[in-house]
Amino acid sequence: MLNYRFQWRAVFKHLPDLVDAAFLTLQITVLSVIIGLAIAVILAVWRRSENAWLFWLTATWVALARNTPALLQIYLFYFGLGAYGIHLSPYAAVLAAITFNNAGYLTEILRGGIDAVNPSQGRAALGLGMTPLQVYARVIFPQVFRAVFLPITNQIIWAMLGTSLGMIIGLQELTGMTTFLQSQTFRPFEFYLAAALIYLVMVETVLVCARLYARWAFRW
Amino acid sequence: MNNISTTFTANDLLLMLQGAGVTFLLTIVSGIGGTVLGFLIGWGRSLRAPWLYYPLGAYIEIMRAVPLIIQFVLMNSFMAILGYAINPFLSGIISLTLYIAAYVAEVVRAGIDAVPHPMVRAARGLGLGYIQAFRLVVVPLGLKTVLPAWTGLMLGLMKDTSLIAVLGASPPELLRSSQIIITRIQEPLAVLTGAGAFYFIMCWLITLAVRRYEQRPLLQSLGR
Amino acid sequence: MIKIEEVRKSFGNLEVLKGIDLTVDKGEVVCLIGGSGSGKSTLLMCINALESIQSGRIEVDGIDVHAPSTDKNKLRRKLGIVFQQFNAFPHLTARENVALAPRHVLGLPKSETNQLAEHYLAHVGLGDKLDAYPTQLSGGQQQRLAIARALAMKPDYMLLDEVTSALDPELVGEVLDTLRLLAREGMTMIAVTHEIPFAREVADRVAFFHDGVIHEIGPARDLISSPQRTRTRDFLGKIL
Repeated sequence: MLNYRFQWRAVFKHLPDLVDAAFLTLQITVLSVIIGLAIAVILAVWRRSENAWLFWLTATWVALARNTPALLQIYLFYFGLGAYGIHLSPYAAVLAAITFNNAGYLTEILRGGIDAVNPSQGRAALGLGMTPLQVYARVIFPQVFRAVFLPITNQIIWAMLGTSLGMIIGLQELTGMTTFLQSQTFRPFEFYLAAALIYLVMVETVLVCARLYARWAFRW
Repeated sequence: MNNISTTFTANDLLLMLQGAGVTFLLTIVSGIGGTVLGFLIGWGRSLRAPWLYYPLGAYIEIMRAVPLIIQFVLMNSFMAILGYAINPFLSGIISLTLYIAAYVAEVVRAGIDAVPHPMVRAARGLGLGYIQAFRLVVVPLGLKTVLPAWTGLMLGLMKDTSLIAVLGASPPELLRSSQIIITRIQEPLAVLTGAGAFYFIMCWLITLAVRRYEQRPLLQSLGR
Repeated sequence: MIKIEEVRKSFGNLEVLKGIDLTVDKGEVVCLIGGSGSGKSTLLMCINALESIQSGRIEVDGIDVHAPSTDKNKLRRKLGIVFQQFNAFPHLTARENVALAPRHVLGLPKSETNQLAEHYLAHVGLGDKLDAYPTQLSGGQQQRLAIARALAMKPDYMLLDEVTSALDPELVGEVLDTLRLLAREGMTMIAVTHEIPFAREVADRVAFFHDGVIHEIGPARDLISSPQRTRTRDFLGKIL
């Protein structure tokens, strides 16, 4: 070990490439969380629906997303859909798989958040003469939002780290780009350390922002 | 003579079963290692001595902020730099253990914090020493809060073993063996669906085992 | 005036109210007593339409509560309700809790609702807790907050559902004091309660519920001191 000499020059030279790749990672993260959240809201509503089909669709989605590896989900979108003549680019496959996964986990998070609100809160608000819509907007939603805020933050971080799987199917997000560059320069240790550091900075940024926002928004 | 079959054979099923076995083994070994290590880290943090609390906190933070793939690759290079022969399987297990330990540590700490302090005082008041009170009161009570979260971590760990594929570890675990089959028979959808079913069943078995454990009278009596 | 005629209510196969008749005049305080499951709390929910009824009729100031054409949100403004669980909205300060409904239901301007909130919080003895969040208040304070919140809608009637049952014994007194104050001011109240001495002191009439019907009803002092029927006597004997 003592003989190993770090050489950072190649890393510095390619730093702009790494930063560009990090932005691609961020882009997939943001998109997959936003779309995933939109789907999760629908699934969470369907989950409570009387319609057996909608209920089972939701239950299946959630179970598949949670009980199979994300890498398998990426493979399914990338290789598996070929059986139907659908050929996704690595970018589309990763985005679709991470979104699919996010939607499953977020559905459960939303369900937990709704369950966390005492049902008598709604009754009390109705008792004051508020309309059902007002009850949801002014009384229920703020409490659900608080309950889901931390789990959603964790899911965002998971999604960010999960995009690194794109490397395996050749997507040049941060990990993929790192793999490509180290193979060109033969400095794997330095490049992966640099990538780890960039991930660390991105994750900590999300966490710090989330904590600051939570402190400001949830004084109660 | 061309004896390479392009259809799914009994051997393929065997290969997948073997892969499932490897996945299970990886999960058990790194799960036990990670739980022990994570327990020690979580317990160390619960003591709240600054010289332990912050370094361990930094460890947890870093392990949870770097993608597992990168941890795998770094560990592999690190072992090589240390002068060990390259053994992707071993460095994979070490990585998984160190990785999951960080998550277990946070769960353990939350479990310890969830035990009301008066309970601990009451135990000490009966003349139990620190270790005794911890072992006889804090651990059984904390277990109740910890168990669901810990199960979730172990299921996550099992799914994450699939990433060991980036190291090309041998023997192949479930997803890697599926890929080997796909390369030959060119039926990705069917094979991946099969692999998904394997994972699904294994998750289900683990959940079932934990649920059975949760039904034990002690944990039941702690129900409220 | 609240007029309840032949009201029946079931949850599935379980009939909880088996024909209730009760008339409560303006300014009157009526306490409902009886064992758990006897239907008292359900009746309160039916009066402000939080629960539906199967048959019979409930009228509040001549409005048929359960008629499909009745605007239930509007009706509930007349009827303040306070529950056993405090139900303070945890994400709002005491002031915001009280101001919420006047602002969004009545559409009053913010300056006015704040004044309203401060007035009613002071009225229930929480004038120094305006900016506290419910988690910073004791159970008794949260329950008084819930009372102030209901009062701020300037209801004509107050429905009180075991408002002291979830409180620690030492906090019961402060909430009962608040209710005494309301009674003195002439607020019409229907209160489900287990506090028999309180009922005897404050109520004009007491109704004893048993098995989904009003088993006995009469002036508070008479019913509590000399109940006429065996079941009433048994119940009071057990609880006093």
